[in-house]
Order: sequence, then structure tokens, then C-alpha cells
Amino acid sequence: MKKIRAISIIDDDPITVFGIKKMLHSIEASQDIITYGNGKEALDGIKLRIEEGSGVPEVIFLDINMPIMDGWQFLEEFIALPLKERIRINIVTSSIDPADKQNWERFKTRTHHLLDYKNKPIRRSDIAEITRVA
Amino acid sequence: MLRGTQDSLANSLIKQLPIATAFINSKLEVVHASDRWISDFDFQDKMVVGKNLFQLFPDIRNSWKKDLRKVITRGTNITGIECFLDQNGDEHWFNWTNSPWYDQNRKIIGVIIQTEDITNEIFDSAKMEKLEILLNDKSEISRIGSWQYDAVRKDLTWCEITREIHEVPADYTPNIETAISFYKEGYSRNTIAMAVDQAMNEGKPWNEKLQLVTAKGNEIWVIAAGKPIFKDDKFLGLIGTFQDVTKDIISQRKNEEQERQFQSIFNSSYQFTGILDLDGTFLQINETALNFAEIKESDVVGKKFWDAYWWPIPDMVRDGLKNVVKAAAGGEVIRSEIVVLDKNQEKVPVDFSLKPIFDKKKQVTSLLAEGRMIKEMVVAREKLKVSEKKFRALFELSPIAKILSDFDTGEILEINSAFTEVLGIDKEEAASLNYTNIVPNTRSLKRNQIKEILEKEGTFGPLEHELVRKNGVSFKASLSGSLVEIKNGKRLLWTAAQDLTEVKRKEKQINEERQLLRTLIDNLPLNVYIKDLDSKKLLVNKAEMDYCGIKEHADIIGRSDSDFYDDTSVKISREEDLKVMSTLTPILGKETINIKKDGRLTTFLTSKIPLIGDDGKAKGLIGISMDISDLKRKEKELQDLISVTSVQNKQLINFAHIVSHNLRSHSANFSMLLEFLVNETDESEKEKLVKMLTEASDNLLETLDNLNEVVAISTNVNLKKKPVNLVKKIAAVEQNLAAFLKKNNAQILNEIPHDTQVKVVPAYLDSVLMNFITNAVKYKDPQRDPVVKLSLEQCNDYTVLSITDNGLGIDLEKYGDKLFGMYKTFHENPDARGIGLYITKNQVEAMNGKITVSSEPGKGTTFNIHFNEKN
Repeated sequence: MKKIRAISIIDDDPITVFGIKKMLHSIEASQDIITYGNGKEALDGIKLRIEEGSGVPEVIFLDINMPIMDGWQFLEEFIALPLKERIRINIVTSSIDPADKQNWERFKTRTHHLLDYKNKPIRRSDIAEITRVA
Repeated sequence: MLRGTQDSLANSLIKQLPIATAFINSKLEVVHASDRWISDFDFQDKMVVGKNLFQLFPDIRNSWKKDLRKVITRGTNITGIECFLDQNGDEHWFNWTNSPWYDQNRKIIGVIIQTEDITNEIFDSAKMEKLEILLNDKSEISRIGSWQYDAVRKDLTWCEITREIHEVPADYTPNIETAISFYKEGYSRNTIAMAVDQAMNEGKPWNEKLQLVTAKGNEIWVIAAGKPIFKDDKFLGLIGTFQDVTKDIISQRKNEEQERQFQSIFNSSYQFTGILDLDGTFLQINETALNFAEIKESDVVGKKFWDAYWWPIPDMVRDGLKNVVKAAAGGEVIRSEIVVLDKNQEKVPVDFSLKPIFDKKKQVTSLLAEGRMIKEMVVAREKLKVSEKKFRALFELSPIAKILSDFDTGEILEINSAFTEVLGIDKEEAASLNYTNIVPNTRSLKRNQIKEILEKEGTFGPLEHELVRKNGVSFKASLSGSLVEIKNGKRLLWTAAQDLTEVKRKEKQINEERQLLRTLIDNLPLNVYIKDLDSKKLLVNKAEMDYCGIKEHADIIGRSDSDFYDDTSVKISREEDLKVMSTLTPILGKETINIKKDGRLTTFLTSKIPLIGDDGKAKGLIGISMDISDLKRKEKELQDLISVTSVQNKQLINFAHIVSHNLRSHSANFSMLLEFLVNETDESEKEKLVKMLTEASDNLLETLDNLNEVVAISTNVNLKKKPVNLVKKIAAVEQNLAAFLKKNNAQILNEIPHDTQVKVVPAYLDSVLMNFITNAVKYKDPQRDPVVKLSLEQCNDYTVLSITDNGLGIDLEKYGDKLFGMYKTFHENPDARGIGLYITKNQVEAMNGKITVSSEPGKGTTFNIHFNEKN
């Protein structure tokens, strides 16, 4: 499996973050796993990385329901960033609200990034599949 | 008499003879001629002596020659009257005497011709003769009486005829005065008196036709002539004549009258009249015919009958007309209806006849053509035909039985089909019946009585009488009749009979139908009314009467909406009425709100249908209104219920999502952690996972608590609200938060009046106040001390509590829709749970209130809490 430069987990739930991290470690996906507690933290962090030249994480795990800036608000800002690279964004949520799924469909048509939608919990068997460079 | 000498003395003597005298020798040559003779025969410029008579009188008649010969040979005197035309062609009449001319030896050597000019006399008598002939072909030569008056002796003598004319006795002695007095007073007497006077004084003769009244009192016409006699300018007397011309005058007058009458009849007749000779040439035509075609007499008279203007198709008609003339000339009378052209070339129907005129010998002498315009007659005939047809139609189609009978014999002459229908008797059967069979005597009224009335009045009825049907059943009918008299003295009776049983049955039926209709509209659960052009009510049903609060139907008639409804309703209704009546388009099922004078509001479903009159214009309208107030009320309740339900439903779905999301996220964590734990071999790692599971369990419990709290609010929708003093409540919350406020250096500015009461669920109010005040302080701007201002406002049914802070503020554009969502936090405050505003909002809504917000980041936020004071 090709080593991934950097993976980012955006979620306010520390247990979820712990879980995803543990699974990523088990498959040795990347050395560089960055976690953010909400959308705003993530956006600021990613922008900083671009400025520093350390590159945008190639795979992003994104929660929807977060304080300050939720997943959708983050996506809105993220797809507006001038990125040539195709980033894989895994939306990971426990929401079963159809409105969220519709939002995902809408975003998919608006960006060249790869958007995936997964309900929690993420299974160990799924993790390798969704942790690939797009 | 002179002997036949020719000496100069004798010659000059002869020349001067007062009587025109000529001496003619046996060779009929003039030997001597008196000057008078020469002048009388106009021979002044001719040498007469020595000329032969035949030279002088080239036209001399043989009879005269014979006469002259007779005188010469036999010596007889012959007298006579002869006419002679002078050089101017004037007639001259002479009384002549041819006497033998003797020589000394008593030998006849010639003829002495003596002539007396009697032209005037002849003319007078000829005139009279002509008149007589003209007036009376049987007239005898009138007797002429004479008279003379001796002026010297003043003696008037009448001859016998004159006396007879005057019808006086033979010994009657007239004088001038009495003679004049015989003339009829007036014109005749004046004329004769003047004539006599003029004759005496001026020497003028007279000749007048005048009227006399005879001694026996008969009025007669006479020609009275007279002339004065003078000698050496001395008036000697008068001589004159009388001629009775009464008969002539009368017959002339009669003829003139007849002629005038004939002409006037001929010309002024409305008929076209013309007289033709036997060849068909017009001899005469009357003015009517000429005027009809606007042509002149000369256009017709002398022309052939068939060439005249009047005939429309000359070639075709001409031969026919020729034949007609031929037939009439042969004694036939032709008569037919033809068409002629008037002055405008319009065809006019004419009743034409051509009749032969016979003389005494029964010979046809001329033809009389007559034409009578029958345009009016033709038109009248057409009219008669039409009216006959109409009458027939009326008679046959009339729904009333009609009988035409002979009044005197009772014979049935005619019946119509209604008769057959009503009495069951057909035409054939009726012919064998008598009037008495159909109209029998009854106790109340005898047929004789009807007869008497008819004889006296000419008509009878209508009166009720029993008639008998064919099947013998008698029935009540309304009878009326009238007597018609036709020319030959026959009297006919028209009788009309209307079956009253039928009329009454129909009346009853109509009444029943009316009753049914009335019952129907009165029991309809609808307000029904009929309005006139002024929107005044003409008819209403019971429902409408009840609605208007009227007991008697009569009380509502003619009243208008303004008597029952308020001004706005009246105006709207009137506008609707006018629209319906002017456009003739009905309003159907329109929802209208009607407000009565007492303010009671009723919602109707109204239809207004125009009533259209015979002229195609509206004469009013029918209104039908259904009271749907109850329906409306229920609809409103339902609407409210639906809106409450849908809000609650939305909340429930939202809540369900929240619940599922929150529970799922925990369960997902459990699931994930347990999977790790099962596969974990490292003890320290296991311990860490167990610790995390415990945390997850605690989080789940907390979540359940929060959800429970929300469910409690939502399920307690019907919690009793009661008035609470707002200021006291705020003070209590302030007390509870005293430590927290003090720690944050916060200041509360309460601007609410002390006695302010709000209708709330007290526990909710505590929670709401606590939450907002806490938030206002919690999200303070780190640069300044928090100030929380509370103020109050009334807005419609709401009491609005405004809580204004000077904190961080919220970007409402970004977060506005999520502000009151569950687990939504907007500041990086570690205490933020994202549950407070969600619960607060649910509590306010549970009290039928609402929350609005305005905010500006960096300046502060205002929450407006609307407390519903109504319900």
C-alpha cells in the first residue's frame, strides 16, 4: 500500500477520533495524522499547511455535526481553496437525516475532489478501502 | 210698271228706282238697272247694261233660268228667295219678283227683276230655324207675333199671335207700360225698359231673349225684337216682333244639361271610358283614362284601341284586343280582368269590358270600352283570403270548442277540433245533431232564455251551462255566443264552450304545484330570495325570513338589504346585484360575509342568477345563499389544528433525528470501542479502552437526560399558564445567579415596570430567564464587563421581553438557522453544551410564544421573547 503523505481527522468526538486513528495506525496508512476538533480549526490548519508548503492532507475524515463550524460549512470553504490535487474526503457521520445525504450529493457535483459518505461506526474492514489516494 | 222704252228719261227714272230693279230682255241681257240693283249685287265696277245674266251670275241656277223663261213665255209673276255670295264671300239673301216686261203692244219683251235685300231677315229667321232644329227636331216653325206703337197717338197694337203669346183676351188693349210689365221682374224687365228707352232716344233697335210672365201667370221665353221708326229725325213709333221660344229654350237647356252631365259623368267617372268605332278606333276617351296614363286626348283619339299606351305587352296583347273588338262589333259583350300600365309603367289590375252600342234598329253603331281599377279590390280579396285563412287557423287551433249553427233551425254547420276533443263528437256526428242536443235545457237556464238574450243583445255569456258529452256525461262549461246575420236573412250563431272541469282541474294543479314549490323552497336549508331591479325583495323563503328576523312573508316584501344588514354588506351585495343584472351572468357559489345590523357575522356561499324578462333585459335576480358559518368555523379550527400539528410534526421529526443521531453516535462509539477491546491484547491498552467505554456510557446518560428534558417540555403542551409578576421573577433569578454575576462583574439593568404581569408556565419562565441571562454573561466580550438590559413592549397579542447584552454577538447570516438547534454551539466556550437555547425555544413555544433575535458580532445580541397573552 502506498504511503500517504498526510491524513486529517475532523471530529469533535474524541472517541471517534481515537477509533479512526487506531484503525489507521493498524494499517500503517500514514505517519502524519492530524486531528481537528471542528471545521474552523481544520480550515485554519490546512491553510497554514499550504502556506508552509507541507501540503494538503490527501485523505480527510470529516464529521458533520460539530460546534463553531460544522462539516458542511467546512466543505463550502474547502472546495473554494485553489487546489489542483484531488483530495479524498470521507464524510463520517452518525446522522441518518436524509437532508445530510442530499447535501453530500449536491457537493459531489460541485467539486473535483472525491467525496465519500459513511455512517458511523467505521469498520476496520472498511478503513483500508477509504484510505487511498484519490 | 214701265213699258219697254229706252228713252233717257225712262232710263234715269229706272236708275233712281228705290227698289233694286233690272230690266232684262228676252235674250236675258240687262237693258236697264237701277243703281240700287247695281249696288245690291256689287256691280259698281262693272258695266252691267248689255251683259247677259249668265255672265253676271255665272252660278245662276237652272231653276232661275226656267223661271225667267216662264215669265217671258207665259207672262206670269214669279217670286222667290235667292242667295248670292258677294265678292267677299258674304252671303246675301234676296226676295225677288220676276215680272214680264211689256212693250206698247202688250208683248212681252223681257223680264223686270225686282229684288229686295232680305239678308238680315233671312239670317234672323235662319238663326231661329237653326236653333229650333238644334233644340227640337220635332219643332214646328214658331209663330211670330208682331206689334207696333204709334208714338203720335200713343197707341200700342198687338197682333193676334202677340196677344196669344201674352195669353190675353182678344179685346185686350195694351200700352207701353203694361207691355213692359209683362216682362219678368229683374233682368228681363230692366233689359226691355232700357232697350225701349234707347230705341226712342238713340234710335237703336233691339233683339233680346227674355222672360215673360203671361196674363195667366205662365213663365215663357221670348225673342223680343223692336226697332224705332223715324221720319225726318222725328220719332214716329216702334215696330217689333215676339216669338215664343220657351219650348226651345227648355229643350236646349235640357240638352245642354244632359250634355254637361254626360261630359261630367264621362270625364269624372272613376272608370276608364272610351268610345270606339266598329274598327276599334278611339272616338272619345275620358279624362280618367288619360290622367291614369298621363297622356293627351290626341295620343288616343283617332288611334286604334290596341295601339294605346295602356297595354303591357303590345305584340301579344294586340291580337287578343283585335279579336275582342271584332267580337264586340259583332254584338258580344266582353268582360275580363286584365292588367294595364299606369303612368309609372306599374301594372294595375282592371276589370275591363267592351260593350256594343246599338241604335234604334238594333245595329251596332259604336263600342263602349270601360275599365274599372280593381287594385283595391284585388288587395281586399287577398286580405280576405288571408283573414279567412287566419280565421280558419284560429278556429281550428283554438283550444276552446266552437260551434257554428243555424240560429233558427239549430242545424250544426261547423265545429272545430277542440269541440271534438271536449265533447267527443266528430264532424260527421255533429252534422246529424242539433244545437239542442249539445246545449240542453237545464234547471237553472233554459235554452229559450239564451235565445231571447241573443235576439235582444246579439251576444250572450259567458255563463256556466251544462253540456253533454257523446258518452252522455254532462259537464260544466263556460258558454258564450254571438249572433251573425248573413245577407239572405239567415242567422248564424257562433257558440264557444270552454270545459270548466278542465280549467278547474288545471287551476287546482297549478295551485298544488305552487304549494309544492313553496313548501320546497321554504324547507330548503338555503336562503332563497328574489329581488327586483332596485334590489328590493319580492319573494323570500322561510330560511331567509328567519335570517332577517321576520315572521310574516308580507313584512319583507319591498324591503331592501339596508333594512337588515350593515352598510358595507349592503354596498357589496348591491354591487353584486348590479353586476349580475347588467351582465346577465350569474354569480355562482361565491363566498360572501354578511354582517347584520346587530354585528352578527355570517358566511354564505351565495349564488345570484339574473331573472331575464321578455325584452331580454334583467328584471331582477334570484339569490340562493347557504349559511356556511359553521363550516367556516370548523375549517378555521381545522386549519389551526393542522398548522399546530405540522409544527409539532416538524419538531418531532427534528427531534427524532436529533435523538437518533445522538444515540447512534454513542452506540457507534460503543460498537467501535468494543471491537477494539475484543481484539486488544495489550493490557494497558485494554484498560484505556474500558475507561473510554465508561466515558461513552456517561455521555450517553447525559444525552438521555437532555432528551428527557426536551420530551418533558414537548409532552407538557397543556401545562396551565397563569399570570406571574415578571419583575419578581427576574429578581429571583438574579438572586440565584448572584455569585455567577458577581464573578463576571456583570450588571443587570431592569427597565420593566414593577407591576408587569405575564401569562406563563412559571417553571418555564424561570428556565428561560436563567438561560438568557446566563448566556448573555457567558458569551461576554472579553474586552468589557457584561451589561444585560431587560425591557418590555406590547405588540398586538404579545408581551415582548427584550434581553439585550453587550457580548460577543453572533453572525446571524452564518448561524441564524442553527441558533436554536440542539447541540449547536457557536463560540469556543468549553461550557457550551448546545442544549440551552434549544430547550428555551421549546419552552417558549410550549407557551404559544416565540423568540426572535437580532445581533451584531462585537457589539451584542438582543433576544425578544414574545409571551402570548391570549392563549
